[in-house]
Amino acid sequence: MKIKIEKAKINNLTRFLEKYALTLIVLTLILVATATWYGFYQNGLGLAYNDARSHLNIGRRVVEGLKPGLAQIGSVWLPLPHLLMVPTIWNDFFWHSGLSGAIQSMGSFVITGVLVYLYLKKLGASIFARFFGVALFALNLNVLYLQSTAMTELLLIATMTAGSYYLLLWAQKENIVDLLKCSLFIMLSTLIRYDGWFLIFIATLIVAFQIFRKKGYKATEGMSIMFMSLGGLGIALWVLWNLLIFGDPLFFAFGPFSAHSQQEQLLAAGNLPTKGDILLSIKMYLYALFFNSYTLPAILGLFGGISLWFNKKININARIATLALIAPFIFNILALYLGHSVLFIQGISGDTWFNVRYGVMLAPSIAIFVAYLTDKVKPMRFVIVGLSLLVLTFAFLNQDAVTIDDARVGSSQKNVSEVSDWLADNAGDKEGFILISAASHDAIIFSSGMDMSRFIHEGTGLYWDTALGNPDHWARWIVMRTHDENDLVFREINKEAWEDHYTLVDHYPFADIYELKPDSMTNLNTEPVLKNVK
Amino acid sequence: MKLSNTTIKIINIMTQGILLIFVVVIMMGSIRGIAGNPTAEELNSPIWKEQGPFELSPERGRFALTYSVLEDQSVIFSIPVARFVTPDLGYTDGNFVSLFAPGVSYLVIPGYLVGQFFGLAQVGTYAAIGLFAIINYLLIRSISRSLGANPLASAIGGMVFLFATPAFAYGVSLYQHHISTFLILAGVYLLIRFKKRWLAMFCVWFLCALGIAVDNPNLFMMFPLGVFALMQALNIGETEKNLIVKINPKYFVAVLGVVIPIMGFMYFNHLSYGSPFQLGGTVNSVDAINEEGRPVTSEDILTPEELAQAGEFEEEDRSSVGFFEARDMVNGLYIHLLSPDRGVLYFTPVILIGVVGMFVLYKSKNKHLPLLLSIVGVNLVLYSMWGDPWGGWAFGSRYLIPSYAIMSIFIAMALTRYSRNILFLLVFAVLFVYSTAINTLGAITTSAIPPKVQAIPLEALTGKEEKYNYKRSWDFLNNNGSKSYFYQEFLKDSVPAKDFYITLVSAISTVSMMTLIGVYLTKRKTKDENKD
Repeated sequence: MKIKIEKAKINNLTRFLEKYALTLIVLTLILVATATWYGFYQNGLGLAYNDARSHLNIGRRVVEGLKPGLAQIGSVWLPLPHLLMVPTIWNDFFWHSGLSGAIQSMGSFVITGVLVYLYLKKLGASIFARFFGVALFALNLNVLYLQSTAMTELLLIATMTAGSYYLLLWAQKENIVDLLKCSLFIMLSTLIRYDGWFLIFIATLIVAFQIFRKKGYKATEGMSIMFMSLGGLGIALWVLWNLLIFGDPLFFAFGPFSAHSQQEQLLAAGNLPTKGDILLSIKMYLYALFFNSYTLPAILGLFGGISLWFNKKININARIATLALIAPFIFNILALYLGHSVLFIQGISGDTWFNVRYGVMLAPSIAIFVAYLTDKVKPMRFVIVGLSLLVLTFAFLNQDAVTIDDARVGSSQKNVSEVSDWLADNAGDKEGFILISAASHDAIIFSSGMDMSRFIHEGTGLYWDTALGNPDHWARWIVMRTHDENDLVFREINKEAWEDHYTLVDHYPFADIYELKPDSMTNLNTEPVLKNVK
Repeated sequence: MKLSNTTIKIINIMTQGILLIFVVVIMMGSIRGIAGNPTAEELNSPIWKEQGPFELSPERGRFALTYSVLEDQSVIFSIPVARFVTPDLGYTDGNFVSLFAPGVSYLVIPGYLVGQFFGLAQVGTYAAIGLFAIINYLLIRSISRSLGANPLASAIGGMVFLFATPAFAYGVSLYQHHISTFLILAGVYLLIRFKKRWLAMFCVWFLCALGIAVDNPNLFMMFPLGVFALMQALNIGETEKNLIVKINPKYFVAVLGVVIPIMGFMYFNHLSYGSPFQLGGTVNSVDAINEEGRPVTSEDILTPEELAQAGEFEEEDRSSVGFFEARDMVNGLYIHLLSPDRGVLYFTPVILIGVVGMFVLYKSKNKHLPLLLSIVGVNLVLYSMWGDPWGGWAFGSRYLIPSYAIMSIFIAMALTRYSRNILFLLVFAVLFVYSTAINTLGAITTSAIPPKVQAIPLEALTGKEEKYNYKRSWDFLNNNGSKSYFYQEFLKDSVPAKDFYITLVSAISTVSMMTLIGVYLTKRKTKDENKD
């Protein structure tokens, strides 16, 4: 049998694919993102991370609660993800399904897929390699899971990849607009997670180095300042925010709810073994990286990266610019080494997981490097593609996603359902406020399914202050970890009033529930009467 | 003195013949075993089991099926045979059955029968695997030659595989690895030499299907061969304006080669497990058999809580895809490549020279490289995802034996390319002798080496140091132990086991080094002739 195909038709098909590749990718990724979100929504895993519920609550408190407003953004986490929730979080379905946070992750997933395609195109990769790169990124079950949740990883990945992409464009064409776009996207990433702060540092070094090589010191100074002005704007605003709201520009860094403070506690408990141990830090992060990428793509990615950096056919400026893609790798290892971050890998740090999802940060970089490799060693491309698919197939068949384990069985989850169910069953349809620390128990607030305005927490200003002094006047129920000084309610409550007026109604590993005694109900306020008090 | 081409050819043939005889002698001298035609009851004695050739359950499980089919005319095990097989024993519908794919047990039947005739049933069975190992040596030589390697370098490639990798230890006992490797190499050979012949492609498909009956994961291992066989149906050419794709339907018909092995495999599954689609590995296993001949399962031993927990794991393990976990790959790669208890780096570093050969083929744009590399890739990736990358108690990384074979072909290419580079040859020679010394030790002593993760808790039980790599085999040898049939039968009373070992290593190293010198001289001669 003989089939004759006109070369012109093949060229037309290639042109068609080139022309509509982005449309095709966007539509496919939207379908994948939606279907995956729906799957995880149906099986309840979409909200498995306690942090996801906390993110959603922060967004919700901006629009609903005893003291709604922008100040509810707080200082625990950087603000952009919560600000992006504001347009939808008022809707109960968007709040309780997690869609309000997931929708930005899903959008970021689609955008990152497109960026992987465009990045490879700018590196001169074939259309096959470009599509393969997108597939490798999108078929990672860890990426698919995180894009279905209200976590911040995908948004961060999208902004960082966008920043790296425009950095590459600038390195290739030296168009100042590309540099501004790069700066803008990195600025956005600095408002999502501190990984972005490291990227602005690395990107500035790359920009300064490139300009210095070509134009000398003066131009370097000017361009670097311009680049950092926009890129660092987010950081400056965040510092200003902390000064205005909390009275301390570094409240986010050293405040009682900061990561630093948590790490100090872990260190005191001997649970921060990576601090000061560079080899262990590298090992921990490599494990996280391998588990999130299914190992083989990470190894192939290393070869792809090497083949890219040593390919003299590619402009040296572009090659240097691609170093931005590995910024998350360096950042995470440094953060572990300096004790600013904590990562538990089951089998290495006992029998638990914690923050293993940080390994997903290199997903687009790996996809780009592996796809580039297929183009570089063309005769071997089907071997690389075949082996990658073999691994991904088994990952899918066995539903192997370390991020789901991190969310379900690791330290990132605490079984709060006992407490939240108790509240829903016993306080849901009764009058009265619940005194609780959001910093410690945000997941309980979310899982109870009750309105935010039922809770008096540290973000409710006067309600909080008065309820701690006279709990029997404001709180019909108190949820706290008794005798735990880290629980703000226990630490600051008027102990005498609490002991006199409350009775322990239930006790759980994660928190205790106290209820106002019936004979103390006389002074209890059940209406938000302080609404208009400044 | 100038030699004529005919003389050179005759010398070559004679050299290859001598090398083949040498290989056969070494292999036959190393086959593990004891004289006799044991009955099922005798097989359960320690002389045959722990102290003898059936030291590990994979050997027992496969031999038991051969024995049962020939002596009891049944795939269902009698109670003595079942006892012999524990703990890797299957139990279904009230019958004791094999947990292993049946291919090996059937393919070694001729060996059992010939051996039985001479009163050496077990030795004959093991020798059948040795025969496959020798055929693998020949196939590596032939494939290397087809790819352009020097004849002597090709022979060295074969010897690297046979004597300098853990393939040696598994060529003298009853495991599936040499048969799987044979099927892969035969498929590769057919694809390289006869790819435009329909019958050859039919045979490739036959081998692919037979592979599944030999070892179920061969479904994936043989996959690259299937893809390349299918691609032979396509012939793509081009004119100025058109791309012309010629499709030869005969090559699609060649896929029918899978029918006979698959039918046979399904029939076996039907007889053993009651369903043609049930695989041995997915049948419930029995831990032991009590005095009444009833199976002792976890229910009899564990508390309800432990049982509930075990039940969860049992269910997960019993799904066919659950054997391979992508997340296990990091650990798997470490175990296979770097770990002191199984790693290539410790057991057979010479195989790493193959990477050089890989680049030689890549640089020469060899069109068969993707096929060879995909076999190594699938092998390494698949068994890195395997839940037990150590291969139980084993010698070296036994699952990588097919990759050792392909890497040996690459070594032949590297030796051909760099045969004038003294430093390269020296490095190769050192690594070869080291690897041979290690693997000869494994072949003639014991493969029962625990992985480190088991050795450490074992130390707490036994109260003594439990070694977890070839040092354990060394201790075995120092206690004058060798499981070689030849040694046990003819030398035990006159020669210490260590001397036997030293003789074998010296012989292999000397012959290989002489061959290596031959490679060097042949190339020099060719160069000198070119200069003339």
